[in-house]
Amino acid sequence: MAMTPDRQATFWYGCNMARHGEIIRLATRILGAVGVDAAPAGGPGYCCGSTQEKDARVAGVMGARTVEKFNTAGRDMVVTWCPSCHANMHDLMAPVTPTNFETHHITQLLHERRENLRPFLTNPVRARVLVHAHHGFQGRAPVNTDVPDLLRMIPGVHVLDHPLRIPSHMCFAIAAIPGRLAEAHRDTLAAMTDLGADTLATIFHSCHREAVALERGRAIRVVNWIHLLAEAMGLDYTDEYKAWRNAPDPRAMIGPDRLAAAGEVAYERLVEPELTRPPTL
Amino acid sequence: MNAGSSLIAHMRQNAARLAAACTACGACYRACPMVPETATLTGADARSVMAGIRDLLIDGPGGEAAVAFAGACTRSGICTPACPELLDAAFMMRLANLRVRGALGDPPLVRGRHDPGWSARVKAFARLTMSEQEQAEWL
Repeated sequence: MAMTPDRQATFWYGCNMARHGEIIRLATRILGAVGVDAAPAGGPGYCCGSTQEKDARVAGVMGARTVEKFNTAGRDMVVTWCPSCHANMHDLMAPVTPTNFETHHITQLLHERRENLRPFLTNPVRARVLVHAHHGFQGRAPVNTDVPDLLRMIPGVHVLDHPLRIPSHMCFAIAAIPGRLAEAHRDTLAAMTDLGADTLATIFHSCHREAVALERGRAIRVVNWIHLLAEAMGLDYTDEYKAWRNAPDPRAMIGPDRLAAAGEVAYERLVEPELTRPPTL
Repeated sequence: MNAGSSLIAHMRQNAARLAAACTACGACYRACPMVPETATLTGADARSVMAGIRDLLIDGPGGEAAVAFAGACTRSGICTPACPELLDAAFMMRLANLRVRGALGDPPLVRGRHDPGWSARVKAFARLTMSEQEQAEWL
């Protein structure tokens, strides 16, 4: 299905994307379809340093280690997903540790190669879509325009324009202030109602994990933009994070074998509180 | 010089560059969604606060309001398009934020958020969503 690759890339998916394995798989296949052979890399071993930024000495070492891994991977391109990783690479990592690769955000790369992608988008997807747009990253990569452009190539998809922009480059640093994430979600739902949208397309992973619970009790879908492209390409996937988050008993849905693989204590302390916390609205 | 020291030198260099380019007009301050959320900034003058931010960026004390404003930064990014000088105001404020949180080695002036469970949580989710082979190849 995919075209012969003309670039070898590392797909640097970040760290918190580990919640969304299917997005990593789908993004890798979509990159392959447009001629970019992408090897996924992420998690704490490929940290951009932002998690330790309160101590620049530590963050600097972490960032340099990641750049050196990319340098030795033998691939001349790093494709970013996470806006924090992307910004850190440009602002704090590449200026300090020499790189032997170019860095591109996945939205820009797919947009540049969209004519390679178009022939694969053959399955109609019936959806009236509001893209979950943000302030804060558009100047680095024009996600608020490139993602809608890509989705408009899907037969059956109607991308609806709305001026709403959520503060911060992804959901949601301001969420630390009580009520602000709920306010952003209320604004998003109101925009969907205004437009008659039935689908919210998130751009980034953290927005996706915050927004999926909005499906509860509402006749809407919350999907990531990658999911919509995958559906148009006929790629199967299951958004397990959304299923777990909206399940009455995520533990039962995950099942004992996978819980054992994750580690019962780790699940109970680190995963379950996130999956079972009340929705914002 | 190791990577940590190199990063600190890079941050200081960029902080000084942005402090020199900033005119302390206050446009970014007026655009920031965190100003109404920060009690210390009630009634503060935008130009004075930004003059304090410039001072912080070159290792000055900055003053109470500037420290509060830098510490309140949540990287909303709304400041950058507001800057009439076309500076990367979000990066400038991030550098000021890191300075007041003690990232450059000085005693912290404000407390930042830190998630000590981040790495373990990411790995736990990876074990749930990735096959063993994917974990071996992707992490």
